[in-house]
Amino acid sequence: MASPRRSRRPRTTLLILVLAAVTIISLDARGGFHRITSGVKTVASDAFAPVRSGIDGIIEPIGSFLAGSVHYGAVRQQNQKLQQEINQLRQAQASQHDIDQAMKQLSALLNLTFVGNLQTVPAEVTNYGTSDFAATIDISVGRNNGVQLGMPVVGAGGLVGQVVQANHSTATVRLITDGQSSVGVRFGPAPGSLGLLTGQGSGKPLDADFVQSNTALTNGEVFTTSGLQGALFPPGLPVARVVSHRNGTASSQETVALQPLSDLAHLRYVSVVLWGPS
Amino acid sequence: MTARDATRVGLVVIVFVAVQQTLMLDLRVGAIHPDIMILLPIVAGIVGGPGRGASMGFTAGLISDLFLPTPFGLSALIGTVIGFGAGAATLALDRTAQWLPPVAALAGSAAYELAYASLGSVLGQPQMLHVQLLRIVLVVSITNAVLAIPAMRLVNWSLPAASTEGVPTSVASSGVLR
Repeated sequence: MASPRRSRRPRTTLLILVLAAVTIISLDARGGFHRITSGVKTVASDAFAPVRSGIDGIIEPIGSFLAGSVHYGAVRQQNQKLQQEINQLRQAQASQHDIDQAMKQLSALLNLTFVGNLQTVPAEVTNYGTSDFAATIDISVGRNNGVQLGMPVVGAGGLVGQVVQANHSTATVRLITDGQSSVGVRFGPAPGSLGLLTGQGSGKPLDADFVQSNTALTNGEVFTTSGLQGALFPPGLPVARVVSHRNGTASSQETVALQPLSDLAHLRYVSVVLWGPS
Repeated sequence: MTARDATRVGLVVIVFVAVQQTLMLDLRVGAIHPDIMILLPIVAGIVGGPGRGASMGFTAGLISDLFLPTPFGLSALIGTVIGFGAGAATLALDRTAQWLPPVAALAGSAAYELAYASLGSVLGQPQMLHVQLLRIVLVVSITNAVLAIPAMRLVNWSLPAASTEGVPTSVASSGVLR
């Protein structure tokens, strides 16, 4: 019996495409080519923005229906309860409450005392991340509004993240909880000790690095951006509060967990601080 | 591939991107959203064989990377390998069997997500292994298994009839592939 012969073409295709992908990844990791890929991403996002907006308008009701189907059991139970309790007036009140919440967030953004004289641009959060592997949000302002790569983004409570992709009319913000995020901070009595807050993933507390063992800390203590020379953020932006800390008896560092001051899971409006590293 | 086939493939890819970037981003199950872009290389592998699976994986992956904050090219690399793997693994099977697309989508999507997180971690993004990986694998695999048959029909419409590329001549001549 003759042994099976295979065409070599698919394997050659595989080899070429794998090499091409590896080359793209390697080049993107370098600064020069990254600017090109970032530009291509911007063009793609800008080109796709109207399509996304148009299709969203058409299929948002379908999405809501499907989302409801996924939680069918809970929705049905909730619906039964609501049918007994809720009348038209209460629905109107609920709607009013929603508007109030949005207004509250917007009003808070108009009175951001911690940004001082720095200019800000308010933005609506349009999307909660395009990847399950990164903590990002998309916002409704971009380069047309003065937004640039690296600018800090704040919410009513404090620092939310940093612009990592600035398109013409939209931008992507990496939240401070993302694993790639690190924020230089200052804490404690003046002049204050320095540390570095690193993200551990969406919904998880932040970790503090470089906090010496036996440093006097209290739960609820607020860490603010350090603003050291070359820092990625201006000084004095509140970032997070201490939720737990442990003396590292065998370690030279204190183990500190912090909760972001802004409610990152329910952001509707944010402000981009028009500030860039010097 | 003729110009008409290329246009059809382009249309299908655009439809997948549009649905992923709109409907799928809104449809979250426990904070995880489905990823139908992974379906493209898997079903293209079943329909067109390993070579076309790899090509579709590269193309769809590169387009996905345009909208993702993760390393550029990572989706293209994993998509290429998964598309090739889906084509190669289903070579000797009856590609018209109803059970094949959902099973291939389930296994292929799980493999894709695990490889994506592992390789992302190697490429300097260690947090990709610390996210809710099991939940991501479950949500993405199950939704893709459910959507595999309609996706298969779309890709079947766009790609030319099943290719015998890469098929052992003994299998190709047996008439299993139509």
